[in-house]
Amino acid sequence: MTNVEQNILTALSNKLGEKILQIQTPQPRKVFVRVNAGVHRDALRVLLDKDESAGISAITGVDLGEKIELMYHIRTHGTIVTIRTEVSREDARIKSITDLIPGAIFHEREVTDLFGVIFEGYPSPKRLILSENWPKNLFPLRKDAEITNIEDKLEKVTVLDEDKRSSDGGTLVNIIMGPQHPAFIEPEKFSLKVDGEIVKEVKPRIGYVHRGVEKAAEKRTYLQDIYLVERICGICNACHAACFCQTVEAIMGTKAPPRAKYLRTVVLELNRIHSHMLLLGHAGLEIGYESFFQYMWRDREPIMDMMELLTGNRVIASFSTIGGVRRDFKEEKIPKIKVELATLKEKMSFYKHLFDRDPTLKMRTKNVGVLNKREALKLCVVGPVARGSDVKMDVRKDEPYAAYDEIPFKIITYNEGDSWARLMVRLDEISESIDIINFALDNLPSGSYRIRVPRIVPAGEALGRVEAPRGELFYYVKSNGTAYPERVKVRTPTFSNILSFVQIAEGGNIADVPASFVSLDPCFSCTDR
Amino acid sequence: MTFIFRVLIFPGFTFILLFTMFCDWVERKIEARMQNRIGPTYTGPAGILQPFADFVKLLAKEDIIPSNTKSVVFRFAPILSFSIFVFALFFLPIDGSNVIPHSSFEGDLIFVLALISVANFFLFLSGWSSTNPYSAIGATRVLTQFLGYDIPLFIFALTSAFLANDLSISTIAASQNVPFVLLIPWAFALFIITLQAELEKDPFDVPHAETEIVAGYETEYSGRRLAFLKLAKDVQIVLGAVIVVELFLSGPYGPVFLGLPAFWYTLWFILKVLFVVMITEYLTCVFARLRIDQVLVINWRMLIPLSILSLVATVAVAFWLNPLVV
Repeated sequence: MTNVEQNILTALSNKLGEKILQIQTPQPRKVFVRVNAGVHRDALRVLLDKDESAGISAITGVDLGEKIELMYHIRTHGTIVTIRTEVSREDARIKSITDLIPGAIFHEREVTDLFGVIFEGYPSPKRLILSENWPKNLFPLRKDAEITNIEDKLEKVTVLDEDKRSSDGGTLVNIIMGPQHPAFIEPEKFSLKVDGEIVKEVKPRIGYVHRGVEKAAEKRTYLQDIYLVERICGICNACHAACFCQTVEAIMGTKAPPRAKYLRTVVLELNRIHSHMLLLGHAGLEIGYESFFQYMWRDREPIMDMMELLTGNRVIASFSTIGGVRRDFKEEKIPKIKVELATLKEKMSFYKHLFDRDPTLKMRTKNVGVLNKREALKLCVVGPVARGSDVKMDVRKDEPYAAYDEIPFKIITYNEGDSWARLMVRLDEISESIDIINFALDNLPSGSYRIRVPRIVPAGEALGRVEAPRGELFYYVKSNGTAYPERVKVRTPTFSNILSFVQIAEGGNIADVPASFVSLDPCFSCTDR
Repeated sequence: MTFIFRVLIFPGFTFILLFTMFCDWVERKIEARMQNRIGPTYTGPAGILQPFADFVKLLAKEDIIPSNTKSVVFRFAPILSFSIFVFALFFLPIDGSNVIPHSSFEGDLIFVLALISVANFFLFLSGWSSTNPYSAIGATRVLTQFLGYDIPLFIFALTSAFLANDLSISTIAASQNVPFVLLIPWAFALFIITLQAELEKDPFDVPHAETEIVAGYETEYSGRRLAFLKLAKDVQIVLGAVIVVELFLSGPYGPVFLGLPAFWYTLWFILKVLFVVMITEYLTCVFARLRIDQVLVINWRMLIPLSILSLVATVAVAFWLNPLVV
């Protein structure tokens, strides 16, 4: 146990004393504190008072049979403090925490949809993940949910208010962006109320491609789950697989061999470069800069080729596995990769110059969609969005996984908080990632690249975090001692970031909506899982 | 007979249509090469028939009119704006004289510019009558943008007219012994920038910013109406380029060698128009799209003062330039 954890526990026991029922520290930098329902708000308050940059990572629900367990995962000083509490199954009610942490809104709504837990005092109890016609009393992630013959049980729905075109007697026009819209490649809906060209109100609605990955994971073995979670997101697939594997490794108490850690690092960073370049090109398209888009995507191709060279696949890497990685790198491939990376680095400095100088690019992104530091912390945003608002937060530094504790790199932050800053963070991170890969390839330890692990995972639970290209990716896995997991919780970075879009779009120009939206790097197949 | 031939075949309707499609192809190729792509390759040699194929394909598609669009305007706006643009081209000398012989008159420059405004207004109406929020916003953007660039466009055009001491386009073109681009390069450069706004090209392609408002005023159109709307846009691009050629690049006139002067004039004309198309396409590729408020700020705070300044500068140097003008 480190000092940070000790400090947190001391503060908690000073304030709450007898109210703490149980304390566990199964993993380094992870603290589990069990309290009664109702006390969870006091515990949260203690944590928030202690660290103003504390934020919520996720709320996990677990069906225990008689009761439903709720876990509030709070990140503070690079540690995850989990406050766990239980509510009864029949009358699943608990006080909302959105007044303490506004960023918890979506997390609570998700639990309401999937577990039927009602959060008292919650601002707008609407469907978020499930469709409007989903049966009222069917909560898919409860263990007894019967999801057969669903067509017969569906509810009747009428047109939603926000789908009607004019409102407020005609001065405001409702513009619906999505589920199909040329600016958004993935299905999600934002109902905008616009007054001329000014956006007055934004209502997000996600869940159009909710596939129930968390439920499906319970029906598959751990090995099968690796390939399932990879398919949550095509772009950051390596991160999902690595995060799942290291979480399961934590339950088993095994550690991947050093070579595997470095190999994972290389693939994760390649994944980051390719994701960032994809986004930057896309940003160019959104602000009508097609040439930039074409150039960026052209230069992204070598990265995909590198992925293929190293992992055998261009997109879905299928690289990490429990206990290591599935393939080794051949030594003769490494010089080829280093040459490509050197070329890419040169190009990146050109693009950075472009972003610094081009007048139209700056006009469209500077002072657009400003999210200041206070709001960023309030809304618990993660990844490049947070770093663009001067929040120094990076799981690679906060809680080093893979080989990041041995590789020197710096966290890129910008303090403007606008679209430009968020895109610049990504441009700089690509250069930083290239250095990380070069370092990892130079210092590749020898030895085996995987260890064999049993198929059956001992009972237990673990949390895992990975800095995906879009920010902190969070996994919670609970094992019941069989080959099938009891619960797999995935919280993707976009799920945490999407709330900030409402903040930055309101009051802005309608032409800025795509420009500021794309700077968040939203990924809705991640978000909907 | 000559009259009918001139209007329908050359240099009239057919020539203009084919030339428009050729320019469209050139544009697409240039843009593709600038963006490190290859552009159309499949239809015809080097894909030269692609614009024609696209047009025919759209003609064959189902034409859907939204049920709550009763307006006649919606039905006729595409064909009207297309014909107005083509009509405006009839007043510009292509093979040495106007399409309709002896149709040029003192002041046809003003008339052509006015026709462009009218055609733009039809584009606005086409979107406005669609009763679709995207179209409505696209349509208001057409008008808002129009308010910004119309005045500078006129003043820059008048700079040439002032130098040539005439308001007739064919006289202006004919009087350029030395092309005006060499005499008043500032007006030429600024006119091209203003033209980008007129043609709705980057950095001013706000009215159909596809990532914001789908296809802008074109959103509800389909089938042959969309085909004509697209064709109208292409003709407009050619028209814009031709106006630049007439006002600053001495129109179709150039050295005549063997054979018919009309042949050489047409050749010079085509080469010059392609040159202007290349410039506008280059600008399109190197800029991002601006926001509508930024477009207005640029137009009113920069282009209008600059246009007046350019006129003043031209007046100031006109004394020395006049001997170079016929």
